[in-house]
Amino acid sequence: MEISAELQRQQRSLWRHRMRQVQAFCIDLLLLTLMLLMVEFLVVAFSGRRGPTGLLVTPEEILDLLHYGWAVSGAAFLALLWGLGSNVLGTSPGRALVLGVPEREGHPPWTRTLRGWFIALMVELTVFTGWLITEVQLVTFLTQFSKATDIVRGLLHPSSSVLHQGLVLLVQTIFLAFMATAFAIPVAFCLSFLAARNLTRDTFLLRSAYTLVRAGMNFTRAVEPLVWALIFISWVGIGPFAGVLALWVHSVAALVKLYSEQIENIDHGPVDAITATGASHLQVLRYGVVPQVIPPFLSFTIYRWDINVRMSTIIGFVGGGGIGYILKPRVDLGQWGEVGTLVLLIAATVWCMDILSAKIRERIV
Amino acid sequence: MNRSNAAVDVGSSSSTEAVRVEGLTKVFPNGVRALSGIDLTVRQGEFLVIIGLSGSGKSTLLRCLNRLIDPSEGRAWIFGDEITATAGADLRAMRAEVAMIFQQFNLVKRHTVISNVLSGALGRSPLWSSLFLRFSEEEKAQAQAYLDRVGLGDRAGSRADALSGGQQQRVAIARALMQKPRLVLADEPVASLDPALRHSVMRHIEALNREEGMTVLCTLHDIDLIERYASRVVALRDGRLVYEGKPTSFDAVTFRQIYGEDAVMAGSATD
Repeated sequence: MEISAELQRQQRSLWRHRMRQVQAFCIDLLLLTLMLLMVEFLVVAFSGRRGPTGLLVTPEEILDLLHYGWAVSGAAFLALLWGLGSNVLGTSPGRALVLGVPEREGHPPWTRTLRGWFIALMVELTVFTGWLITEVQLVTFLTQFSKATDIVRGLLHPSSSVLHQGLVLLVQTIFLAFMATAFAIPVAFCLSFLAARNLTRDTFLLRSAYTLVRAGMNFTRAVEPLVWALIFISWVGIGPFAGVLALWVHSVAALVKLYSEQIENIDHGPVDAITATGASHLQVLRYGVVPQVIPPFLSFTIYRWDINVRMSTIIGFVGGGGIGYILKPRVDLGQWGEVGTLVLLIAATVWCMDILSAKIRERIV
Repeated sequence: MNRSNAAVDVGSSSSTEAVRVEGLTKVFPNGVRALSGIDLTVRQGEFLVIIGLSGSGKSTLLRCLNRLIDPSEGRAWIFGDEITATAGADLRAMRAEVAMIFQQFNLVKRHTVISNVLSGALGRSPLWSSLFLRFSEEEKAQAQAYLDRVGLGDRAGSRADALSGGQQQRVAIARALMQKPRLVLADEPVASLDPALRHSVMRHIEALNREEGMTVLCTLHDIDLIERYASRVVALRDGRLVYEGKPTSFDAVTFRQIYGEDAVMAGSATD
């Protein structure tokens, strides 16, 4: 029985090694494919080739023209070559990342290894390609400032006509952010225990709950608050409540992530000590975990309120209430003086919130 | 607790037996073999000291006995009940009879001293009131009495992390008293304390044994502490039991057997 267990362990470690080799190959394949594609992109871009309209091809058109299939097969060939010839060529980047550099290669400076040169080349190619794809125009940026002077002048000469309405809506904005945070706390608090790896290892049910909560929260966080706002506006109608709900959903997801990371970082000693007294799971959470995470939780929550105040401006743009609601039409109409007033109000509030939350958090931790 | 199971247990022979361990083995998921087939019996009322180098499996052995760690193989009985075959509420009831004292004290740092002592009673307090940190008046009086006993009666309201290391360990001992256990597992209780404070803590652990009649399993490093407090000594090396005997019959040869050829038997042996 002992021997078969040993054999099983060996087989498992062999299998794990194979998986790592596959991983390393995949990383090499990805890097080499990217390299070939970027080289082709730059060659086409500087070849002076013209598109069907007779103009020089745009970056988007070049992206359509690239030979993706050829690039992948070429990269697969090169990756295989590098993998097999690693005695001569040195360890490939994928293997170095997944399996580590073998001892016999030592630690030569990057200029002495193919891997070093390859990575340097990749960085350069990426910068050049990025420059072309995002259509960077340094000259325009440095010489055409005069076109924007109207806006800047307006922002620097705020008009007082919108001050009263702005202040009223600013109060709404702060409360909107507050309510979203307040509603988020209990939900995030409960979910965060299920999203902490160290508390969810024991049973299959807990492990599934962990995966489910993590996946759900990652998805929720990935969806922009702006999109949530649009959903809730059609659900409960235009107004601050839709904004509260949008920020609430996003805050829950963000807080669960921050809270659960804190739970994962706790000192396990008190948990062991409380478990050893014969306490039940809930009692272990209450005595062993909760006292350790309360201060960081408070700190994150105040920080979240701060973020929500900033976000609620954008939420207002689409009709989620708050000061953004009157900012958007004035931007569209080019009433830069009034925009200036509102922007100053927002900036002052954000600045105050920032200082306040920093001060409170300092006290707590 | 599942008392009825005791009759079914194959090996529960003597009623004076506190702990019995048969073939206890622990292999951690990373392949480390912490314990290899430990057999051990501890009678009620013993003060058993377990010695051995760091990493020899002492801590793992203690933690297998209250199932903070689940052993890979082997069985363990606590007062005749097989703890390695128990789960859920029965396991918790068994744990309530086994107090543990840790090297790092493991107090709830942000709670008050008295609240830490009261947490020793969690195994038998009603769930809902305990979740709101509420305990009965008798329990509070009892906790205060235990604090007085370890000489910290006047610090009941302080936050636990405001106390020194030696004081925190005495609070941990009061917590163990509050649990009213029959067995105490002390995992390096004085290893992170100033040498001058070690006897003051050890004397309180000795009192658990002498005055309360609790069986004590304690891991220690210092030779003088072993000779002073142990009624019996066992030694672990690489997860195996390599020595068992009276603390007085402990000489330089057995010492090297346990700690390796490089070790020097001085006033104290450290890792």
